[in-house]
Amino acid sequence: MAKMMYRDAVVSTIAEEMERDENVVCLGEDIVGGMGTPGGPEAIGGIWSTSTGLFGKFGADRVIDTPISESAIMGAAAGLALSGKRPIAELMFADFIGVSLDQIWNQIAKFRYMFGGKTKCPAVIRMAYGAGYNAAAQHSQAVHQILTGMPGLKVVMPTTPADVKGLLRTAIRDDDPVIFLEHKALYGVSGEVPDDPDYMIPFGHARLSRAGQDVTIVSTGLLLGFCEAVADKLAAEGIGCDVIDLRTTSPLDEETILDSVEVTGRLVVVDEAPPRCSLGADICALVAEKAFASLKAPPLSVNPPHTPIPFARELESAYLPSVDKIEAAVRKVLSYR
Amino acid sequence: MANIRPFCMPKWGIEMTEGTIAEWMVKEGEAFSKGQVLCLIETAKITNEVEAEYDAVLKRLLTPASEEAHPVGALLAVFADADTSDAEIEEFIAGFKPAETSVAAKGGGSAPAAATATPAAVAPAPAREPKKIVTNRAISPEALKLAEAEGVDIEPIEGSGRNGRITYQDVVQALRPERALSFNGSAQLVEDSPEAFASPLARRIAAQHGIALAGIKGTGARGRISKADVLALVKPTMAAAPAFGAPFELVSNQPQVQPFDKVRKVVARRLTEAKQTIPHFYLRVSAAVDELMALRKTANLVLGAKASINDYIVKAVALALVRHPDVNVQVHGDSVHSFPHADVAIAVASPKGLVTPIVRQADRMHIAQIAATTRALIDKAQAGKLGYEDMDGGTFSVSNLGMFGIEQFDAIINPPQGAILAVGGANRVAVEADNGDIAFETRIQLTMSVDHRAIDGAAGAQFLQTLKGLLEAPEGLFA
Repeated sequence: MAKMMYRDAVVSTIAEEMERDENVVCLGEDIVGGMGTPGGPEAIGGIWSTSTGLFGKFGADRVIDTPISESAIMGAAAGLALSGKRPIAELMFADFIGVSLDQIWNQIAKFRYMFGGKTKCPAVIRMAYGAGYNAAAQHSQAVHQILTGMPGLKVVMPTTPADVKGLLRTAIRDDDPVIFLEHKALYGVSGEVPDDPDYMIPFGHARLSRAGQDVTIVSTGLLLGFCEAVADKLAAEGIGCDVIDLRTTSPLDEETILDSVEVTGRLVVVDEAPPRCSLGADICALVAEKAFASLKAPPLSVNPPHTPIPFARELESAYLPSVDKIEAAVRKVLSYR
Repeated sequence: MANIRPFCMPKWGIEMTEGTIAEWMVKEGEAFSKGQVLCLIETAKITNEVEAEYDAVLKRLLTPASEEAHPVGALLAVFADADTSDAEIEEFIAGFKPAETSVAAKGGGSAPAAATATPAAVAPAPAREPKKIVTNRAISPEALKLAEAEGVDIEPIEGSGRNGRITYQDVVQALRPERALSFNGSAQLVEDSPEAFASPLARRIAAQHGIALAGIKGTGARGRISKADVLALVKPTMAAAPAFGAPFELVSNQPQVQPFDKVRKVVARRLTEAKQTIPHFYLRVSAAVDELMALRKTANLVLGAKASINDYIVKAVALALVRHPDVNVQVHGDSVHSFPHADVAIAVASPKGLVTPIVRQADRMHIAQIAATTRALIDKAQAGKLGYEDMDGGTFSVSNLGMFGIEQFDAIINPPQGAILAVGGANRVAVEADNGDIAFETRIQLTMSVDHRAIDGAAGAQFLQTLKGLLEAPEGLFA
């Protein structure tokens, strides 16, 4: 077990996989970062430092700096994947997905299906998402609800450095396109990471980070830590929370959610995307449909308000689901009579 | 024809002046059919179900279930045919005059207007007028209707609808009492192991039962080991006894919370009242019953009766009560009612809880008649079919736990009765025989709980002397 940051787990996993399989290539804006000074202090490796040192190790053929054109990056990734490579394309800010949506949604997601399974499209599309960084409305969004609703894509949202390692490796080795969502507020978080060069976490396999028998809290990404704080606070009062880290929103680990709700009878989903048609609404509907007999209270989803993300620091913290808001929601389902 | 009929608070006994609706089984607007249970009504003495006497629709529910008592004859609800308009119902309620109430043997329905010996001057309870709510809060139409009908103050309600709009569910929540919640607390967290692809719950169950996940083939989504896969390997046998000298491990011991049902609530309340407010004193005596047992055997053969020892005790108690009128009493506040004949209650465990049906005028009954009566009452109790008239009144109860091997116990008086007799099981005991040897005889222990407000120690003791004599020389029971 080594201790490393979330961002270093990304870099080291990509490096290990590029080492293992020469078909793995990287492309994105500024990912070389300080061309010609491999490993030097200027070679930051993308604006998130998630490709630091790769250029020095693998060279220009496998670490490709692209123009600022998301449609070109995704189109190139689609072509690379179809012709036998395993591209890892970085979109930088998830908010920029709009201009490359045709490549992702209409091409990459549908190739394997429309070609009758005669080819595959093993592309990994990485992007940094999420608020809490004071980056305003066009650089802070959680896009998972858009992508989770697209058949043909797998959507991954790691919370811990260890999960980055296990899930990114699974994503790179997967023969289908995978959207890999990294929360920008988690890049600096450290944690223990298994040393096993083949450590993989299967998709659709949620993680239980707190175990209790009174309420089920489902979340992902940055907000999961808030949920754990709420669970720890309530545990002192004798209230037990099952805190489920989804890890992947597509495929969704229905079984773990339903197993938990069958025990607790209460559900709170904490979701960073806006409330309408959200992941939270989706999971509440799932539970209302398939665990109705176990429910002791209406399932609840905690989301930001249905507005663009504000720039002002104070407004942004009012926008995000906070520990207090999550606690209030949990208490609300606990006190339902 | 709209066929509108009132449903009033029934009068089940001469002393019944008011009743409380404990629960409605039929909702407003719901149709019911003859024989269906409409509601549960509590009186000072019992809780009884009211069955429908005909098919109709519960058009208007005027008195919802509450702790509030309503006088006999008060209009509780209006039944009518399904097609009856609201206007017709309103008109009926406006023009309703309570009928003179006679004792209804069975449930409510429309009490026949018959002259009674003691006409009770009863004013009808005013029907709850829906309270008009004027508000600029956003609220759904059904929610507003419910709030008006139930008199809910909607201002403090935090609406869960869009922009704080109050929903029907919010009003229902406001109507419900706050519950004291009990939580089950945290559970053991079993670490994710990379070598086993299993759901968190499956891992937890595996850890609890010491099952290794490594070799299991998962049947869950994407080949994952699921709860069911692990449970299939859990041996349904008892867990192996821990090795001798192993440290003692505490296991989960969470309570299962079961709120009292309506009947249990009433029983609990009345027993608490009885034990707290009646000054009980206890008299103990034992009686030799060898002769009674021999006589019962013979009598059962001769008469073809199936009388139990308890039937003979009821008979003996009834005879003793008639000979001691100062014990054959009911206590009402600050007056004592004494009776010429003995109505003896027997305590029966029924699925609904403890009930005490009454053998009326047991002193005048032949033993075979007592046996038939108790048999019928016990069957009725087991079927949950005992009515008010089966349990109303009485001066004395007999409670027998001998069949469970209980030797002696103290019972709680069943108000307004004056006393209760707790009967233990028959035991063989060694006694001194006439020639100084040791002999064995069968004895039962009797404990009488007595209400000291009305019955003095000496009176109770003399009664017990008579009772003991009747049991030990049982031919008197055939007098």
